[in-house]
Amino acid sequence: MSTPAISPTASNPLWNRFGSYAVAVALAAFIALPLAWMVISSIKPADQLFSSPPRILADHWTINWYVTVFRDSGAAVFFWNSLVVGLSSTIFCLVIGTLAAYAITRFDFPGKSAFLIAALVTYMFPAIVLFVPIYMILNTLSLIDTRIGLVICHTILTFPFAVWMLKSFFETLPREIDEAAWVDGCSYLGTFIRIVLPLSLPGIFSVAIFVFVLSWNEFLFASIVMTSSDLKTVPVGISEFITSFDIRWGEIMALGTLATVPVVVLFSLVQRYFLRGVLSGAVKG
Amino acid sequence: MSNAANAAARGRAFTGLAFATPAILFMAVFVAYPVWEAIRLSFVAVDAFTGAEKFVGFRNYQELANAPKLWPVLINTGIWTFWSLIGQFGLGLVAALAINRDIPGMGAIRSILLLPYVVPVIALALFWRWMLDGSFGIVAVSFQDMGLLAPDQSPLALPSGAMWSVILANIWRGFPFVMISYWAALQAIPPEQYEAAQVDGATTMQQFRFVTLPNLWNVTKVLLVLRFIWTVTFFDIIWLITKGGPAGSTEHWPIWIYQETMGFFRFGYGSALAVSLGVMILVVIAIYGLVIRATSGARP
Repeated sequence: MSTPAISPTASNPLWNRFGSYAVAVALAAFIALPLAWMVISSIKPADQLFSSPPRILADHWTINWYVTVFRDSGAAVFFWNSLVVGLSSTIFCLVIGTLAAYAITRFDFPGKSAFLIAALVTYMFPAIVLFVPIYMILNTLSLIDTRIGLVICHTILTFPFAVWMLKSFFETLPREIDEAAWVDGCSYLGTFIRIVLPLSLPGIFSVAIFVFVLSWNEFLFASIVMTSSDLKTVPVGISEFITSFDIRWGEIMALGTLATVPVVVLFSLVQRYFLRGVLSGAVKG
Repeated sequence: MSNAANAAARGRAFTGLAFATPAILFMAVFVAYPVWEAIRLSFVAVDAFTGAEKFVGFRNYQELANAPKLWPVLINTGIWTFWSLIGQFGLGLVAALAINRDIPGMGAIRSILLLPYVVPVIALALFWRWMLDGSFGIVAVSFQDMGLLAPDQSPLALPSGAMWSVILANIWRGFPFVMISYWAALQAIPPEQYEAAQVDGATTMQQFRFVTLPNLWNVTKVLLVLRFIWTVTFFDIIWLITKGGPAGSTEHWPIWIYQETMGFFRFGYGSALAVSLGVMILVVIAIYGLVIRATSGARP
């Protein structure tokens, strides 16, 4: 992220430094308080979680809900499934994505611009419009209720922005590096694997985290592809906890916290690449 | 010599194509073909048990045009989209102006403001419902104490309360994206523009009106299209918080598609709904593009 080029006071006469603090803190509270409330609720004992009127803080805390969730419910398997699907989607998306992005930045081939435009259109294309035919294609291929089926869906969702982000990373590598390797007799594939990939690892790593986070959070396709309970991912598995007659809020807040923490930690590792991605228009919201 | 150069160019074109082939095949099978399939399926009736297809012409479209819930769903979709966008762009602009100062602690605040981008929608739906729970939810009980709700009542049990709850959840989730985009645009404004305005004697308010806001216009034009598409078609928040209820009061177009297909297994009808949604989005964007083009000449 480049440093601000302008005097910040010039862009915003509406309020001064303290006004900026006040507005920013108020908005941060709007974001953080519900999250904090989820975490606090997940470590409150039952008598204080279900007190009327609600109490902000408890006089003692407990990790009981977390224990219950893993001991008495099938929740652990949801996390395992999300991990497997997330990692598989990441690897699959990155393999075909890096190859395509490399082809786009280093070679001229017929249909290149059509491919780039198709990726851009797909990036804007809403999943809900295409989920019926995709469901039926997966059904024909017998991929419903398989991890491969969901990996394909998550690659459809993440592939377009992965290609655009990888393209912007590969463009920052000088072509002379590749050309020197070719002159030295290195094959195209060898150059790609041994020279280009290692040099763009930070960029590839950040794209990998975006793909993983999106896969981890994705609900629509996960809910239609995975039907048997031992294959369900975190969002689908948890969503079924709250349709039961008694809503067990303690367990649910523990599950919500557990679903959120991994992606927040991962995201904080690559936040500055995220900002760069927004600048290049390659991030989907 | 030129033959050799041609051969080299052909070789490189071939190599490029080879590198891109897995991606092209994937896009062809799982993106291009589904687009075609969605259109084709919208003209057939699919038997839910045998999977047998029967061509029915425009009957799916006729049915949706005459569906009793067509107008309620359209109105819900409009309310949901309009107020979500107003909230996201309004808060996004205010937030971008606030974080665009390098003062101590602002880095941490920016990090907090980015969190909704990665918080899973399922977690958002869970703590939203927990806060709005009629008996123990901290927000619902506060509203009850203020007399805005009857005792033990959740806003999610009221039609308008449910709609505002999901819209607010969507604003919570979406405004940071607008904020970051505006923040990037603010940083790209050349300082010379402010200096020139100051030389001309512009007040700070005039600088904001005639330098800052016009410089945000370009990003707004693009961002509106993207956020519009993603808001109209956003399914998860409403489904996970209200499932379209109570009594269909938060049922918008994507929920309708989902219910017809995954609830009633009417894949042909669901495809007609999906294609109609796609066409409506394209029409809105085309009109928007024409309006932008017609008014852009008139701007100072």
